[in-house]
Amino acid sequence: MKKLLYIIFVSASIIASTSAISLAQTKPLVVISNAKGAPSELKRTELVAVLRGEKQRWDDGTRISIALMKASTPTGEATFKKVYGMSGDEVNKYWLALVFQGKAKAPVFFNTATELETYISQTPGSIGIIEESNDVKTKPVMIDGKKSL
Amino acid sequence: MNKQIRNPNAPVLWLMVLLFNFSVCKAQETQIRGFAEVLTGYTSETERTSFALGEQDLFITSELTDRFSFLGESVFKFSPSSPTFFDISIERIVVKYNVKGNHNILVGKHHTPINYWNDTYHHGRVFFPTIFRPDMFADHFIPLHTTGISVQGHDLGKLKFGYDLMVGNGIGSGEVSDNDESKSITAAVHFKPAENLRIGASIYSDHISQGAKDAHASDTVVTDVDQLLYSGSIAYFGKRFELLTEATLAMDNTDSTGTKQSISSYAYFGVRLKQFIPYIRFDYSDVPEGELFFHHDTKTSFTGGIRYEINYLTVIKLEYGHTETNTKEIDMVTAQLAIGF
Repeated sequence: MKKLLYIIFVSASIIASTSAISLAQTKPLVVISNAKGAPSELKRTELVAVLRGEKQRWDDGTRISIALMKASTPTGEATFKKVYGMSGDEVNKYWLALVFQGKAKAPVFFNTATELETYISQTPGSIGIIEESNDVKTKPVMIDGKKSL
Repeated sequence: MNKQIRNPNAPVLWLMVLLFNFSVCKAQETQIRGFAEVLTGYTSETERTSFALGEQDLFITSELTDRFSFLGESVFKFSPSSPTFFDISIERIVVKYNVKGNHNILVGKHHTPINYWNDTYHHGRVFFPTIFRPDMFADHFIPLHTTGISVQGHDLGKLKFGYDLMVGNGIGSGEVSDNDESKSITAAVHFKPAENLRIGASIYSDHISQGAKDAHASDTVVTDVDQLLYSGSIAYFGKRFELLTEATLAMDNTDSTGTKQSISSYAYFGVRLKQFIPYIRFDYSDVPEGELFFHHDTKTSFTGGIRYEINYLTVIKLEYGHTETNTKEIDMVTAQLAIGF
């Protein structure tokens, strides 16, 4: 009986901690860009079109470069779900197909927000998504008039 | 040459050249990806079960400048006629120049943008919804490649309109020269009126000269043929259902036979149950008697199978196929492991 209670307790703890991680994953996302290229505000439909590789250049002519967190990171997972409406695997397949067709330049994927921000700050025309934080130093892009997704 | 080697500055110069090349390569953002497959299956034609090594496809993409990019694709596959039993073929060499926005000029050897399958999957077998290509590809009903120049646009406006206009060496030509004065012309349009839905149509026009290999590359064309191909396609790959149907009407005109109309089509349907996708496909083609470029035949095929997508780079398919022509019937059971790397 004690053993059974112990198993139930351990299982409940695991479920509770998993839920906590899931809640942590739903932290708001912010869109950031290099100073050159992206406008300071986009409609959500425009953002989705850009991140799906349907637009090659910004209105000022700067080439678009997409920076995303890897599917294995909570931010990447949240980005794929919220923006693409796909799983990480589906997004990877989508991009592999698009690159194979020669239709678009593949996004650059990162492990950490710091790496992604550094890339954005150094690459004209780049746009990316990270978790909302007070440490964000790059240009924010408002989506439908809101600071976060 | 010897003088250069003896030059004491030579190693330093070589080092500088290497360093310069390294930095150029880094700036180019070159990526190499690929696809491969292994198969096993039984066919009633040979009454044997075999293991088979499929083709290995390598594709390279490289960003050359802000506006120029490169895509190369090479295929390595078994060939009994080769001294090494393997052939290497250059499937695509495309240099793209981005003119403005989503409008591009492309030069090189392309997948002829005639329909969805040819433009989207081609050698990317991990993407194929079925193990084998539809009959219209396997039987070379449509020209798979064209070497030439094209203008291309995509995702324009609210309907995400796209276009391709290509001029190239026609059927019977090689990669380095045309076999006649006339050029093939491909004009294609498509649009995406809803998420995951793509509707397209194209016209292909060519003058095939006497002496060119026919569609099956087994005979030569005995007289000049003026060919017009009208193609249409509907592709929908949603979260739950998958539908892909394409048809091509060929109108081949010769002085002796007049115009002969042939048709080739297929319809694919799949249902996504998480990672498992049961599917069916029907193929139908009909080539009338007296046709000089395609072989006269009526061919129907049924394909039924299941696809298991382990992840986006690893897919297993198990498939049954039944094909009937005017002269034979073939049953096949095939299993495939297709990978991307």
